[in-house]
Amino acid sequence: MSVKNIPLPERQRLRQKTFKKHNLANILTHWFNVASWLLLLSTGIAIISSPRLGITSIWWQEAFRNLFGSDANLIRFHYTIGFIWIFVIVFNVFVGFRKYFVPFAAHRMLLDKDDIEWIKTKPLQMMGFMKDKKLPPQDAYNAGQKVYSYFVVVCTIGIMITGPVMVFKSLFPPIVKQIAQPIHFICVFTIVAWLFIHVYMGAVFPEEKEAFFSMFSGKVSAWYARAHHEKWYNEKLKEMMEWEDQVEQEVREAKHLTEESSGPD
Amino acid sequence: MPTKNHYAFVMDIARCIDCRACLVACSVENNVPMDHTRIWVHDQQVQGVWPNLTHTFVPYNCMHCDNPPCTEVCVSGATYKDDVSGLVLVDQEACIGCGYCMEACPYGVRYIDQKRGVVDKCNACVQRLGIGLDPACVATCVGKARLFGDLNDPNSEVSVALEKAKSVTTLDYEKDGTDTNPNIFFLNLPATGSILSSDAFGQVAQTSLPRDPHYTIAEEGWKKVAIPLMAVAMGATFLVQAFFFTKQLVEGEKEFEE
Repeated sequence: MSVKNIPLPERQRLRQKTFKKHNLANILTHWFNVASWLLLLSTGIAIISSPRLGITSIWWQEAFRNLFGSDANLIRFHYTIGFIWIFVIVFNVFVGFRKYFVPFAAHRMLLDKDDIEWIKTKPLQMMGFMKDKKLPPQDAYNAGQKVYSYFVVVCTIGIMITGPVMVFKSLFPPIVKQIAQPIHFICVFTIVAWLFIHVYMGAVFPEEKEAFFSMFSGKVSAWYARAHHEKWYNEKLKEMMEWEDQVEQEVREAKHLTEESSGPD
Repeated sequence: MPTKNHYAFVMDIARCIDCRACLVACSVENNVPMDHTRIWVHDQQVQGVWPNLTHTFVPYNCMHCDNPPCTEVCVSGATYKDDVSGLVLVDQEACIGCGYCMEACPYGVRYIDQKRGVVDKCNACVQRLGIGLDPACVATCVGKARLFGDLNDPNSEVSVALEKAKSVTTLDYEKDGTDTNPNIFFLNLPATGSILSSDAFGQVAQTSLPRDPHYTIAEEGWKKVAIPLMAVAMGATFLVQAFFFTKQLVEGEKEFEE
């Protein structure tokens, strides 16, 4: 997909034209998730104070315990935010997105041949190798984002199960609570590891600047869509052209009707 | 760690007659569930060779160690060595009852209160200490086998008893870098016979005390597998993004670029 083949006026038009990539629910859910994670991660890290594990700095633990007044209050804050987060995310995914979620997951989130090829090629290209090879076209979310989403889904479910287990402590035998703690830890930090990449690619990497702003406005330019998410871009074009045809048809019909009723004079 | 008060128990084995009044007083004072106990009295059975026979009873509870292995494993900070009294306490509101600490105690003195879902144990009746009383078990012991007080105070009954004692023993556990330094001192404990752990009803389990701290599979897995794994994962992704970020900074941003 060489840019040299596109004449300049066409390129400028493509840059002006925008398509809606994220609806308002997407956007709000995403930023709600970010805010929740900031609170949950900071308090969660402060809670882990086992000297034998020795993971977090004493300074951080002490600061948060002083902020909230006690171990117990710190834990209460953490799981209160946790429950709010669980409720909102589960509601949004299953109730808010109900009609949208299953077809979306089946259609857009599974890896296909182009995705596998992309996984093999893109990292090398980013490092400067294989510049000549054409990257296979990607859908609304590229292969990297799809793989990331699998980890997020699995780990989020892990967090949402192990968290309440530790809160409703009289309902579960000790062994369940013993296992819940390291699983909670693993799920959280697997996502944190991926977040280094997700935040970098979404917010810092220069080619993806439009993607970052789309997480606020919901829109990406046709130029960006064509370059990064060609399969989705083609779908949107088709949708747009079908809509234009339909409008044209309706206008013609309406005109025809008015001409009929007024009649040739 | 040096604390303001260095509370300790002194048990005079020559005086204990296994009446178990201490168990009852403790259960009443602290609402201990019927199937658990915070105090054990180990029956050492008849020992020795006629005519030199002994039949002694060894009362014990939480040792409130100077270096408790139990506080090392608590993830939420719920169990801790109080820096004023020196007692090892449990904050029931922060405890989730996972039992890491229970497994780690070399003396087996912790239990899970399943109704509340938390871990509990002897707290030296810290609620009574606050109003100037002795722990319930000490106050009730008719034979004065149980003594309690502040070792930092040379005039306390424990300091005086230890000074006058003919033989003093502790069930110190010292191995692999752990040295518990328990704060229950046994006077006149016969050399023969070991202390075996038992449940609330005197049923003897064949573990002699102190035992090795047991670190649960979950906790060991967490420490030895999960943490290094996550450290590697985060290190790797961090380095990947750092590599590209540095590359981006070095190359600079061009205004017109596809």
